[in-house]
Amino acid sequence: MEATPLGSGIRHALLIARKDLTEFYRVRPRLVTMILFPIILMLLFGYMFPSSGSVSHVPIAVVVQDQSPQGLAIAQRFTYLAQSSGLLDVETTDSLSWAQRQLVMNNVYAIVIFPRGLGAQLSSGGGTVEVILDQLNPTLDSAVRGEIAQIFSQMDAPAQISAGFPASPGTLDVVFQGLVPGATGSFEFLAPGIVAMTAIVGGLSGLAMTFSRERELGTLDGLLMAPISRLSILFGKGIAQIVRGAMSSVIVFVISVALFGVKVYGNPLLMILVLLEGILAFTGMGMLFTSFVSDQESAQLIIMMIQFPMIFLSGALFPLLQLPWWLRMISYILPLTYVVSAFRAEMVLNAPFSAIAPQVYGLAIFTVAVFALAVPLFQRAVTR
Amino acid sequence: MSYAVETENLTKAFNGFVAVNGVSIRVRRGTIFGLLGPNGAGKSTLLRMVCTLLRPTSGRAYVEGFDVEREPNSVRRIIGVVQEKLLLYPVLTAKENLELFGRLYGIDGEELRRKVRDLLEEVKLWGFRDRPVGTFSTGMRQRLNIARALIHDPRVIILDEPTNTLDPQSVRWVRDYVKGLKGRGLTVIVTTHDMHEAEELSEELAIMDRGQVLDVGPVNELKSKYHASTVEDVFLELTGRELRDELSGRISGRGWRRRRSGPGSATLS
Repeated sequence: MEATPLGSGIRHALLIARKDLTEFYRVRPRLVTMILFPIILMLLFGYMFPSSGSVSHVPIAVVVQDQSPQGLAIAQRFTYLAQSSGLLDVETTDSLSWAQRQLVMNNVYAIVIFPRGLGAQLSSGGGTVEVILDQLNPTLDSAVRGEIAQIFSQMDAPAQISAGFPASPGTLDVVFQGLVPGATGSFEFLAPGIVAMTAIVGGLSGLAMTFSRERELGTLDGLLMAPISRLSILFGKGIAQIVRGAMSSVIVFVISVALFGVKVYGNPLLMILVLLEGILAFTGMGMLFTSFVSDQESAQLIIMMIQFPMIFLSGALFPLLQLPWWLRMISYILPLTYVVSAFRAEMVLNAPFSAIAPQVYGLAIFTVAVFALAVPLFQRAVTR
Repeated sequence: MSYAVETENLTKAFNGFVAVNGVSIRVRRGTIFGLLGPNGAGKSTLLRMVCTLLRPTSGRAYVEGFDVEREPNSVRRIIGVVQEKLLLYPVLTAKENLELFGRLYGIDGEELRRKVRDLLEEVKLWGFRDRPVGTFSTGMRQRLNIARALIHDPRVIILDEPTNTLDPQSVRWVRDYVKGLKGRGLTVIVTTHDMHEAEELSEELAIMDRGQVLDVGPVNELKSKYHASTVEDVFLELTGRELRDELSGRISGRGWRRRRSGPGSATLS
């Protein structure tokens, strides 16, 4: 019996579907990506929008400059209440400059200053406590600000007095401010992250993609047959990626400033240094991938698997404190995390070189190591 | 006598698979040397070693006396390669492609301008010099590909399946052009699985199969050696005997039945 046109149409469609699924199943990287990618997405997006209580133990610094009994008692009471809140972890110091440095380095997210003469001021009717907030981080900023304000409002509550803390003899004013003038918002947090991310993602994916494309087109053979060093091909392509990365970051930077009103306080030379280091480091990583990947599709898959989680885990888009500790550990081994944090601290908070030096030196060591590995592997890969 | 290209027991293995197995050939200067073999015979792998794209597993290869492993850049300077895949950038214009490769070979300034113009005129593409290569027909691209291989005045030119996928007019043009290259004193090595092309172009011929050279010599000598009237017969004698015997056996009765299906026609079933 002859099949109807519809019946044979369905049969052919099923044959083609089966062929496509067989192809898909046999290319293992695609299969692995299909399984892993949704898991990664769930993990990343789940923590990007934190539920209540998911942020806790936010470190803050308490600077006690007033050594009078009254000043010390108030600082002690604040510390006790802050520690009991569950949201804040307090580090006490008498050095404001040390605390400021920790704020710029993202080691603490607020500084509460009990200034010299606070005790005396309170005895004569009223004193002022200054709170410097982390302006890089709007989400945490509001949570920390609210918590600190609430703690100060509780300072003279009857429960505190019965717990052994004396009531303040005068009124305590709390003044919130930032390291740089004016209010900062989400754009201040996002813009440096996106500038850094745009610059380096090109280095990572661009190089592997351009090599695999040229390999597939056959044009790589044309370059390899010219009487030039293999390294000049590698570095020529690397330079093109660096220029592209720099151009992309300049475009994002200009848009951030011109359209979204992001204020730039940092030293331009230090900002360029951090970005260039990042681009170089990721171009080196791109070279490394190039040595292992031969076709464009595999290059795309591998790069997507690395690039996408790295963007989320670097802190470019949301604060790392929102991540659980084990994901944060992964963040700390990603080079993008250091590029983003250093660039953000420099651009928004005008961090001195000493504050971003660990990131700058760390990235330099990483870049040298990656190139030392990538260059010989590349040379071996192009002359099999 | 020294040779333009010489290989000694050249071998290439990929993860245990031997693609080229102990090949020794000698190509005389100023001749057209054909390399004929079925798909997968190892022709392209052999030539990729000669043009420094692959490192031999063992054996030696020399181009104009330069060792391909020890003096790769000297080899690259005197060799031009036309591959089946076009070594051209589709978004660059014809002129930009030639200029790029000319500069990579150290040619610059007035000399480069002159060479680019001469070559584009020679391959009939001067009128299309400012058009992106991506807009060219396959035949135009192959002509430009040949011009690219000649930009640095090589002494040896390798053409790997140069007429594959071309229309008859372009095939004719390429074959005539290749013959003309010999007239300029170039040594030409051409790989093909087109028997007529091999016979028409080659003075000497090596027939390869399964990574080995089965026989090599002047075309007429090979034909008389195998009592063959064409290169195709020589080729089938050396590489296709099993297939041919199988087919003839099946047609003569073992599994194949010939029946008349109408006036003047026959059907094999």
